[in-house]
Amino acid sequence: MTDHIVAQAQKILPNIPLSVVSQGAEALVFQTGTHPYCSEESLIHLSNASTFIIKYRPPKPYRHPKIDKQITKSRTIAEAKFMSKLSKLSIPSPDLISIDSINGVIWMGYKGKPLANGEISSLKNWLWWLEKQDDSASLCVSDVVEKVFLNIGALIAKLHLNEMIHGDLTSSNILLEENHDGVFEAVLIDFGLSSYSGLPEDKAVDLYVLERAVLSTHSVHSEIYNEWLLKGYNDMHLSKEFKSKQGSKKLVETIKRLEDVRLRGRKRSMLG
Amino acid sequence: MTVDLDQYAKPGKSYYLALGLEGSANKIGVGVIKHNLGQLSSTNSAEVLSNVRDTYVTPPGEGFLPRDTARHHRNWVVRIIKDALKVAKVSGSDLDCICFTQGPGMGAPLQSVVIAARTLSQLWDLPLVGVNHCIGHIEMGREITGAQNPVVLYVSGGNTQVIAYSRQRYRIFGETLDIAIGNCLDRFARTLKIPNIPFPGYNIEQMAKKGKHLVPLPYTVKGMDLSMSGILAHIDQLAKQMFSGKKPPVDEETGEPITAEDLCFSLQETLYSMLVEITERAMAHVQSNQVLIVGGVGSNLRLQEMMQLMVQDRKGGSIHATDERFCIDNGIMIAHAGLLSYRTGQTNELWNTVCTQRYRTDEVFVKWRDD
Repeated sequence: MTDHIVAQAQKILPNIPLSVVSQGAEALVFQTGTHPYCSEESLIHLSNASTFIIKYRPPKPYRHPKIDKQITKSRTIAEAKFMSKLSKLSIPSPDLISIDSINGVIWMGYKGKPLANGEISSLKNWLWWLEKQDDSASLCVSDVVEKVFLNIGALIAKLHLNEMIHGDLTSSNILLEENHDGVFEAVLIDFGLSSYSGLPEDKAVDLYVLERAVLSTHSVHSEIYNEWLLKGYNDMHLSKEFKSKQGSKKLVETIKRLEDVRLRGRKRSMLG
Repeated sequence: MTVDLDQYAKPGKSYYLALGLEGSANKIGVGVIKHNLGQLSSTNSAEVLSNVRDTYVTPPGEGFLPRDTARHHRNWVVRIIKDALKVAKVSGSDLDCICFTQGPGMGAPLQSVVIAARTLSQLWDLPLVGVNHCIGHIEMGREITGAQNPVVLYVSGGNTQVIAYSRQRYRIFGETLDIAIGNCLDRFARTLKIPNIPFPGYNIEQMAKKGKHLVPLPYTVKGMDLSMSGILAHIDQLAKQMFSGKKPPVDEETGEPITAEDLCFSLQETLYSMLVEITERAMAHVQSNQVLIVGGVGSNLRLQEMMQLMVQDRKGGSIHATDERFCIDNGIMIAHAGLLSYRTGQTNELWNTVCTQRYRTDEVFVKWRDD
């Protein structure tokens, strides 16, 4: 039943071959071999020169057209801006290629690599795949997994230290990419709900959302996963790069707030 | 489902009967449910023998206070239990267990109903089963609609949660960070002094049908969570401006004055868009294509319509919703979920029947499922 959405996308992007990669909550993600403005020869130096990602936010029929237009436009622009800012800060994320905010289309570089079972290499799929291989603790909480979580924690810290808020951190929105040494590196994606804020409250909610997503999606080992995430987050704040920039002060504020947010989630009155 | 549900069957009896008592908010409900031996399925479904309810209604502009609500429940509980048994044509000695809402909810009303449950349990010498209110909604919704493993949107006066099942727990993927959706609607109804009969949300829905202009409101989705207090404050402010007559709000495009109907329309459109969005996000995240809407706000037809439109655009998507008999708080869902618990050997000793105002959905061990 997604066929008519694909047809809509094809209408906006005539003559561009599209194949569906996934259907997220608000967008359809396509893969294509075509670059919108560069010739093939000029792309040779790129690592993924033959594949690009097109993210298309179709109009949502359930939303009032006025709300829908406004949301599609603002989220597409916000996402593109966020991506360009991330690449300036050299925080791993897809490269922005082009944007059409009215139609809700973003063209970006390809990241990640399919897993052994053919699925996208998101953190979620990878952890699920590991669980399927071997339910015992050894594989799911190995050093490799620990490194990945520490890396993700550090990445989020870097974001927050630059006063950037992701807004929708889940294990589906973190891609894993194997680098030349065979080490998995995390890549952040999906910035439709992103914002800019230095407030401990916003950073704490950002962390809380991820913590809860891990808890509900990867419940068996969630405790240790979240511990690693926070450790990575801590370490980045106290690192040489950020220590001089009030890293430890910001860390204390955010963590204190995180404890408040957790309490709010659990203790809020629940009538009904 | 391969859990053996008949280990605790009474010898020589081919069915179970359970009485359910619900009183966590302003409704008191009593129901009798019947399960036959064996797994529940489309051919062996639970049978609703009776489902009686009474609602404590307050005048326009007022909400229900715990003390008054508890008094209402105390006044009605005996009559309603008698009624439910009469309709079901069963007597106390036919029952297998007494199920009651252990939480979450308002303290005083919960207390007044659990006292009735304890009394019956001792009078008829039956085991007590404490039920989590949210689990009651979910299990009843699954039973009535036949949805196997849906993403559940639970929306009511006190709860706003997106829930999915995994490893014997109903896990909360998204929820409100401040007030509940029903609370937001009720409070706005109080601002507008809309009658509380049959319930404020229904009257807002009827008024919203006449609304024409969409007033821009904050749209506050945070991942799979959402926040509603800011929207309420914003629209309350607009309503005050409208009533005071000083600088009344006008529509940006046409310049026409904004009416109470427009405000109801805008509030519904904005809040429900957010709900549908977080539900869709949870569906994408857990890779499910079924949605089940439960809870009082779930009886809203506009919300159901929007959810339907969302689901149509997802591969193989389907939506399941129930009507007000099962959406709005009722005793039968407590009886049903309690009986499932009872059939897996989970009962509460008398000392362990204290109610709690805070009882998370994911605290319950779902012993009757193992998928």
